[in-house]
Amino acid sequence: MKNVSEPSAGSSRVKKVVVLTTAMLTFIPFWKAAAVVLCDFGSSAFYAGGIAMRAFGPAFPWYILAVMLFSGLLLMLELEACSLFVRGGAYKIVREGLGDTAAKLAASALIFDFILTGPISAVTAGHYLCGLINSFLEMVHLGFELPVSVVSVAFGMLVTLYFWRQNVKGIEESSSKSAKIIAFSLAVCFLLAIWSFITIALKGAHLPPTHLNFAPEALGWAGHIDWLQTIGLVGMLMAFGHSVLALSGIETLSQVYREIEYPKAINLKKAAWLIFGFALLFTGGLTFLSAVIIPPDLIATKYNDNLLSGLAMSLAGPNILKLLMQAMIVVCGVAMLSGAVNTSLIGSNALMNRIAEDGILTDWFRKIHRRYGTSYHIIHLIAAVQLVVILFSRGNVYLLGEAYAFGVMWCFVFEVSAIIRLRWKKAAQKRDFMFPLNIKYENYYIPVGLILLCGALLAVALVNLTTKQVATVAGLGFTAFLFAVFSLSERLNAKRANTMFEEGYRERINAETVDDLKDAFAELDRPHRVLVAVKDPENLYHLEEVLSTVNADDTDVIVLYCKPVENVLYRQDMRSAAVDEQEVFTAVIFMAEKYGLPVTPVLVHSNDAYYAIAQAAAVADADEVVMGVSGRYGANPQIERAVMTWGAVKDHELKHPVTLRILWEGREVSYRFTR
Amino acid sequence: MVQKEQTKVSLGRLITPSRVLVADEYPGKKELIEALVRAVCRDYPQLDPAYVASQVLKREEGISTTLDTGLAIPHARLEELTDFAAAVAVLRRPLVAGENELPIRVMFLFLSPAKPTFFQQHLQILSALAETFKPEFIEELVSLKDAQEIAARLAR
Repeated sequence: MKNVSEPSAGSSRVKKVVVLTTAMLTFIPFWKAAAVVLCDFGSSAFYAGGIAMRAFGPAFPWYILAVMLFSGLLLMLELEACSLFVRGGAYKIVREGLGDTAAKLAASALIFDFILTGPISAVTAGHYLCGLINSFLEMVHLGFELPVSVVSVAFGMLVTLYFWRQNVKGIEESSSKSAKIIAFSLAVCFLLAIWSFITIALKGAHLPPTHLNFAPEALGWAGHIDWLQTIGLVGMLMAFGHSVLALSGIETLSQVYREIEYPKAINLKKAAWLIFGFALLFTGGLTFLSAVIIPPDLIATKYNDNLLSGLAMSLAGPNILKLLMQAMIVVCGVAMLSGAVNTSLIGSNALMNRIAEDGILTDWFRKIHRRYGTSYHIIHLIAAVQLVVILFSRGNVYLLGEAYAFGVMWCFVFEVSAIIRLRWKKAAQKRDFMFPLNIKYENYYIPVGLILLCGALLAVALVNLTTKQVATVAGLGFTAFLFAVFSLSERLNAKRANTMFEEGYRERINAETVDDLKDAFAELDRPHRVLVAVKDPENLYHLEEVLSTVNADDTDVIVLYCKPVENVLYRQDMRSAAVDEQEVFTAVIFMAEKYGLPVTPVLVHSNDAYYAIAQAAAVADADEVVMGVSGRYGANPQIERAVMTWGAVKDHELKHPVTLRILWEGREVSYRFTR
Repeated sequence: MVQKEQTKVSLGRLITPSRVLVADEYPGKKELIEALVRAVCRDYPQLDPAYVASQVLKREEGISTTLDTGLAIPHARLEELTDFAAAVAVLRRPLVAGENELPIRVMFLFLSPAKPTFFQQHLQILSALAETFKPEFIEELVSLKDAQEIAARLAR
């Protein structure tokens, strides 16, 4: 015991304020989310038809249309996957449902397709651009044309290098930019469709044939199995299998889900409908019109790699207008395809990071860029592989297309199997959406629809194994190699007992130190404010209560974490109990994303959390302060301490009542300050 | 249930000169609490000082009741009480109970009825005490001559 000369009022007050920001804390409307997905998913319209045509002939638009209809089922699958809110997309879902090995296999396969999406999109963009230049050169009778392969490879490499740099710098995708691209694409699609119908009216047209005419290389090993060719359904599955590359990018929905605003489940459904409608009209519709209007021999020879340009140039009308139409298609195509290159880098990087977070990859992969804070080793690796693939493809889109779809199909097979398994494993978990066709049995919903979908996916994936030789050899080889790398590094990590790899995802958060609390709340503009104090990432019941009931239109939610500093008031130095703020805010952001509501995370350094909360609430002019219950002290001592601190901090009459609430499972202690 | 704050707490009703303790310094927080408990219990024969002190000290084991203004409000909610009771100690030299403890200039022992209907008022009084005993007010109390003067000042 000791007596000192003077107590120092204010010694417990806030020492330092840090405002935390993350791109994920701003939520986007469903149409912007749909635009982000469509920039990737919709881009397959530019190459899927041409590749399918080369594989099995003029019946290709029927199958592209069928694949687009099938995408509706896969979007429903994604809806159920998202409603489980297992963060980390297909990889985490498979891990939850089927375990580590299946997850590693699914991830390896998916990375293979992510890596291919970049080159196929970049090279296709090069084809469209070169096609436009050559159309122009032809029109002005210059007597020469650019070599398509060289231009497409060069352009593909340039685009990849550009997005490689952007990703190393950590420049995020802009959903607004995606929305503009999609709006422009929609306008182009509308114009093209109207003009196509006029052309059909003027020139007449026939529906595309339905008979399949497989190219020898499109039969793969199945070409040597005579009895297979006698079964009509097998042929249809083969054709379907050669068309599934039109699904490229559909998995982006699970990445965008976390950014969709409140009400999340409803907005996700709206986004899925929008994606489905657009893809059906854009990819399905335009491919169909191309097959109707462009003479088959021209598709096979001239417009195989830039089908939609072919559609523009085959329309009825003056050449200059057709060239203008082609230019618009090329602008739209280059924008969407380049977006897909970016998404492929982002997607594979994110997936590799999720795997790294589970302790499967060594330190080297997780190395963070000193300046930009990005996992640059992973980005370098992916970009390097993509560049090599572009070079080796020599601009051959068909070859790239033939290699594609192994990963997507097998990843979907794993994902649907995992979701079926989770119907039992997590039977009690509330789902905002369930894939249709279910039979209720006791507490379970037997997923008849999902089982049928799994069967269909498995059938296509197995048929593809025999027909798409390039995809099978390259896909199996790459998947096996990556799986071996994952398994080996996981063992290495286990041996080193590397503490870097603690279980769990950590949000990358940007922290900005501000001079005082006022600056931390300067950008809040809604009339009401709720301040939620958080401490334990495992105890966020109160935050969830607030997020599930708050009116986001007129209320800002501030989430405050007080990091203890020296000279604390408690019986022991609370610094030892301090939780890593990244862990706390990762859980906070996860919850905010779950409800699609923006929150303002603020970190303060203080030697007394109650002072920090009272001061922050006063400065923020909060209407409500919400705390979780402390398992150690209980709610009553907490609220007593909170009201005492409030009184000590208060230096002016309140403009409005402030309610202090301590919440825990179904219970609440509260106090209302009125003056 | 939320109940509105009604009136500012009447310190004069809670504190009489016999419940004011003035000292240059005090050997320890526990001893000071016990002394204040004894001062209250003199007017409440139904209260056992040892039991009351144990209840207050038990609460003190939880979240600190000392504020950075120099005010400590050790308190307890007791079944035996039907109204609020209090006693105050004013120390000429601050008391520091431990390495991580804030110095105490004024200790306000506050006892409340345990009935849940009193809880909102209990909170209201705790808040009002913290608001009233700001450093300037504490300085003023410390400068006063004796218990009579302090009680009179609190009653004002």
